[in-house]
Amino acid sequence: MSLTDSTPAAAQRFVRADGPEKVTGSGRYAADLELPGMLHAAFRYADMAPARLAGIDTSKAAAMPGVLAVMTAADVPDLRYSPGIADRKLFATDMVRFEGEILAAVAATTPAIAAAAAAAIEVSYESLPAVTDIETALDPAAPLVHPEWADYQVDEGIVREGNLACFSSIERGDAEAAMHEAHTVVTSRYVADGCHAVPIEPRAVAAQWEGNKVTIWSSTQVPFDARAGVCETLQMPTNRVRIIVPHLGGGFGGKCGFHYEAHVAALARAARRPVKLVFSRAEEFLAPDRRREGMVFELTSALDADGRLQARTGTVLIDCGAYVADAAFFPQLAAMHAVGPYQVPNIKIDASLIYTNHQPSGSVRAPTAPQACWAVESHTDELAAAAGLDPVEFRRLNAVDSRTVGPTGQTYEEIGLQECIDAATNAVSYGDELAEDEAIGVAIGWWPTFVSPAGAFLKMDEDGSVQILTGAQECGTGAVMTLRQLAADELGIDPERIEMIYQDTAAAPFGPGATGSQTLVNNGRAVIAGAKQIADQLRELAADQLEAAADDIVLIDGIAHVAGSPTAAVAIDDLAATAAGGELLLGHGSDPFPEPPEAVGTTCVGDQGLTAWVGPQFSCHAVRIRLDRDTGVVRVLDVGAAHDSGTIINPAGALGQVHGAVMMGIGQALTEGTVYDEHGHQRNADLLEYKLQTIADVPHIHTSFIEPPTNNAGPRGAKGLAEAPNVATAAAISNGLAKLIGTPVRMLPMTAERVWDTIGSAHDQVAAATEGHGK
Amino acid sequence: MSASFLQAASVDEALAALDAGARPIAGGTDLVVGARQGKAPLPAALVAIDRLDDELGSISDNPDGSLTIGSLVNHLRLMSEPLVVERATALADGAALIGSPATRNVGTIGGNVMNASPAMDTGAALAVLGATVHLRSASGPDRILELDELWTGPGTTTARPDELCVGLSLPARPPRSGSAYLRLEYRRAMEIAVVGAAASISLSADNLVETVSIALTAVAPTILAVEGTAALAGRAVDTNLLDQVAALASEQARPIADLRASERYRRHTVGVMARRALEAAAERAQGIKLGVPVNRNKGIGVSL
Amino acid sequence: MNEKLSYQVTVNGVAFDVDADRDANLLSLLRDQVGLTGTKQGCDDCECGACMVLVDGRPVNSCSYLAVQTGGRDVTTIEGLAEDDELHPIQQAMLDHAGVQCGFCTPGMIMSAHALLETTPKPSIEEIRIGLSGNLCRCTGYQSILNAIGSAANAAD
Repeated sequence: MSLTDSTPAAAQRFVRADGPEKVTGSGRYAADLELPGMLHAAFRYADMAPARLAGIDTSKAAAMPGVLAVMTAADVPDLRYSPGIADRKLFATDMVRFEGEILAAVAATTPAIAAAAAAAIEVSYESLPAVTDIETALDPAAPLVHPEWADYQVDEGIVREGNLACFSSIERGDAEAAMHEAHTVVTSRYVADGCHAVPIEPRAVAAQWEGNKVTIWSSTQVPFDARAGVCETLQMPTNRVRIIVPHLGGGFGGKCGFHYEAHVAALARAARRPVKLVFSRAEEFLAPDRRREGMVFELTSALDADGRLQARTGTVLIDCGAYVADAAFFPQLAAMHAVGPYQVPNIKIDASLIYTNHQPSGSVRAPTAPQACWAVESHTDELAAAAGLDPVEFRRLNAVDSRTVGPTGQTYEEIGLQECIDAATNAVSYGDELAEDEAIGVAIGWWPTFVSPAGAFLKMDEDGSVQILTGAQECGTGAVMTLRQLAADELGIDPERIEMIYQDTAAAPFGPGATGSQTLVNNGRAVIAGAKQIADQLRELAADQLEAAADDIVLIDGIAHVAGSPTAAVAIDDLAATAAGGELLLGHGSDPFPEPPEAVGTTCVGDQGLTAWVGPQFSCHAVRIRLDRDTGVVRVLDVGAAHDSGTIINPAGALGQVHGAVMMGIGQALTEGTVYDEHGHQRNADLLEYKLQTIADVPHIHTSFIEPPTNNAGPRGAKGLAEAPNVATAAAISNGLAKLIGTPVRMLPMTAERVWDTIGSAHDQVAAATEGHGK
Repeated sequence: MSASFLQAASVDEALAALDAGARPIAGGTDLVVGARQGKAPLPAALVAIDRLDDELGSISDNPDGSLTIGSLVNHLRLMSEPLVVERATALADGAALIGSPATRNVGTIGGNVMNASPAMDTGAALAVLGATVHLRSASGPDRILELDELWTGPGTTTARPDELCVGLSLPARPPRSGSAYLRLEYRRAMEIAVVGAAASISLSADNLVETVSIALTAVAPTILAVEGTAALAGRAVDTNLLDQVAALASEQARPIADLRASERYRRHTVGVMARRALEAAAERAQGIKLGVPVNRNKGIGVSL
Repeated sequence: MNEKLSYQVTVNGVAFDVDADRDANLLSLLRDQVGLTGTKQGCDDCECGACMVLVDGRPVNSCSYLAVQTGGRDVTTIEGLAEDDELHPIQQAMLDHAGVQCGFCTPGMIMSAHALLETTPKPSIEEIRIGLSGNLCRCTGYQSILNAIGSAANAAD
């Protein structure tokens, strides 16, 4: 067995440019900002839901000393927003649909006065019956979470009805007929609770107006989306809204989307003073529309006599919560994951996103995938057992490989899934004898590479130093830090000579932000394109000076020289000085992104463009666990994590993504789950009861990157990375547990008590069966 | 210093402040977190006793073999002080499991005992070790209370508001004694007891039980001493005995169902903890070294 | 009752006369009065460790510690570790081993590591695990932090 991952030798080369301020405490995060005259914001939340809003009286709050503004829906434009399905307003008007819904906002001279004023707002409600169960929410008799759903504006392609926020299906071949002809059919049911992103920084937003322009400092992963949200809801032109993100204290999807920037901007305008909002940990748990969705899976699969998958049917229900947030594409993603990276000729999967009175779900690190992978891969081990095959053998037989056709008719070029299976299982010595109460579970996963427009500006100044202006957003992954390396390699200079201006919508062209693991793929493409323009300029200048053809000039180690003649050279710094006296060295890049490949032979209702994937990523996690049978407590000992995320450009950064995602996956597997009461209140909205993994829990992690040449992806064949390692960990743990117990734990998280209950019922079943034989 | 805050320079000064209506604060762990969570506002008048180390900060080994532990002794010291580790090992086990290193640095044994949480990690250990609590006031004689005379419910005690806990006494243990505390943990650190159990045992020369005592954490309004253990004298520490102790613990537990566990699961696991605590205590009584805390040195929580 | 109290506290070697609410916690004193924002607020109940500082050299969750109790004492924050332009060895090791991602837990993590290495200069991996167990990190999965602190300890003599 290999040692736990050590720091890659290349780490030094990638020491992050933002590192020194982060280790010394001088780096500023949004909550650290202080502006002259700054006020403090507090929200008044619904605290209960659902209810009809009968009245709201802010007069007492407004009269309190130190209160400079109190706002409700009456003070902002009356419109609904949200991508896909416009179902949300800044402030509740007639109805509240979840406990964290905002009714009013206050700006006051101190946080304490703001909180007291928010509490002094008088609200009267008429309580309504709550929709909290996705399995009954589609019943025609169920109350509607959005009685006026039919009037909402929606994007093309979205299929919906009542509490069905939207729907997607995959159909291929004839699944029903294949079931009838199959040698073996297995049906499974799995239920996953929702959970949370839990960045360690609770979000903060500050806003300041100067004339008719507003600057908003926000802890968002997506400054351009936040800007769009402000412009839409406050009806402002794009060029009067500037979003700046100071250092961002983690996101994991939880800080994607447009959230509170407009609320704080509106407060600051009303109060005529800068205003800052800083969330408590409880607010961070309860209010944002970015909770990881609860899901229910019913899966049936058919095998032939050799154990080959012949068909899969399935129903996937997804808890949307009270508003759609960015979840309109979840049904299609969930449907893809309900099949997984397998060769299945006959498929019928229906996936539904269902409104409830829970906190809204939204993109958290690989949305729908860890839960779906957990269900599908647990089901896959049940299939392997039914076929009499070792689970790893079963996967080798059925998983996709290079030049095979995936479940939705995408033909893969070079992919490394089979190699991932080898590497992950070898890393934990799969097959060797294990200690008592230990087992190794194995799971495979996949995830798309998302592509979108992105731009970059670059300039080389008179001393040869470079600035990159990028719309990229650094949420901690280090992906933005890697952009320097890409530009440096094009320009033949040391990356230390490059500084970056980023996280400012007024300075840089559009970028998708830290969402969908896109930074390297999309911003990287833009930076390389911009750098190439300057490199071309440098070659022209060098060609003039060296009396050679521009095409023959090589830029390397700070020197421009003629290919094959290292002595016929000129310093790039000298070329920069020359350019400064004439045509300036400027580059801009925004190359078109790769097109998704063709999907053949599949019908997909509710298509959001995710049937076939650019740069598909594959993974295998193999996890050695130990079980305390008397208590159901599980300990993760070793994790083999193997990933095909294409070419790895920054090894230290890539390892960090795998390690962080594995620990998050262990938490999702064992201890992290939102617990609701029957009224839709979260019962564990704090870090004592919602248990993240600690450093004391870290297993040995052995990471391998499989790097097949990938044409249709990002720079140098890089795919996305940050989400993919979060997909398969919980599934692998589940499969280890099922080996130890004899049956899977069918609820996620697989808490100690649920494990113990499963052990108990497995024991009861054996006892009952034995008793039956006796009679 | 002010009407609302006094930094006491001596125990007498602190007692006078308590007599005048102030409440004591040492590390403030429970008090300040409670106030921030809105459970209870901070008292109107506080007297800080955190600098009375000279009077309240020592651990002494008395001639009769008993230990006296000042109320300001923090959990960090309890888990590492050789006198405690050797003679009151269960207490060291419990202290080592409390919160983080920072909590163990700031939190004191006196604060823990007087906060009277049924989930406190030192409580069951103190109970099986027969600890008594030493209360002092400006107005009357010192009082020495057994723990079951002190604790009346979650967060409530029989101590008067003018009384300060100045320390605890742990009686001498016979030779061939051992104790241990175990806690059910969903992760390896930063847990609060879902259930826990402490055991102390003394053995005869031929390893039969002379005395055994079991107490349970977080399964009743106060730390719960298990009854019926006297009948176990003379028995060998074998599977039968351990099963019987687990059963006694599970039967006598009066757990609630909450977010952290169901009633049924608590009742079962507290028996498991009791069995394991007794097993560990018996090993220690026989001179087998078992590191502190047991949670991280045996079973599922062992270090990788 | 939230009387203003006046007292002196020394932060990173500099004495400050402060005037603060009796109920003010040390975190707000440091951030709002002393003006050092490197110490972070991540939760409300001593669960995340982002607010970790040293009081007289020992680790304290500043979010849940009354500021007035530091009167006359020495407080060390993340801003007090580097000397001039020279990073503290723990800070340097965190950079070298990629122990920093979003950076929000980093100050607290480094302060806990500092407290650990003061009392346990050559910690085992298990001692590092337990010593830093009060500091949550969501980015790194902790592996690189274990490597960093282990290496900082080994480098020190």
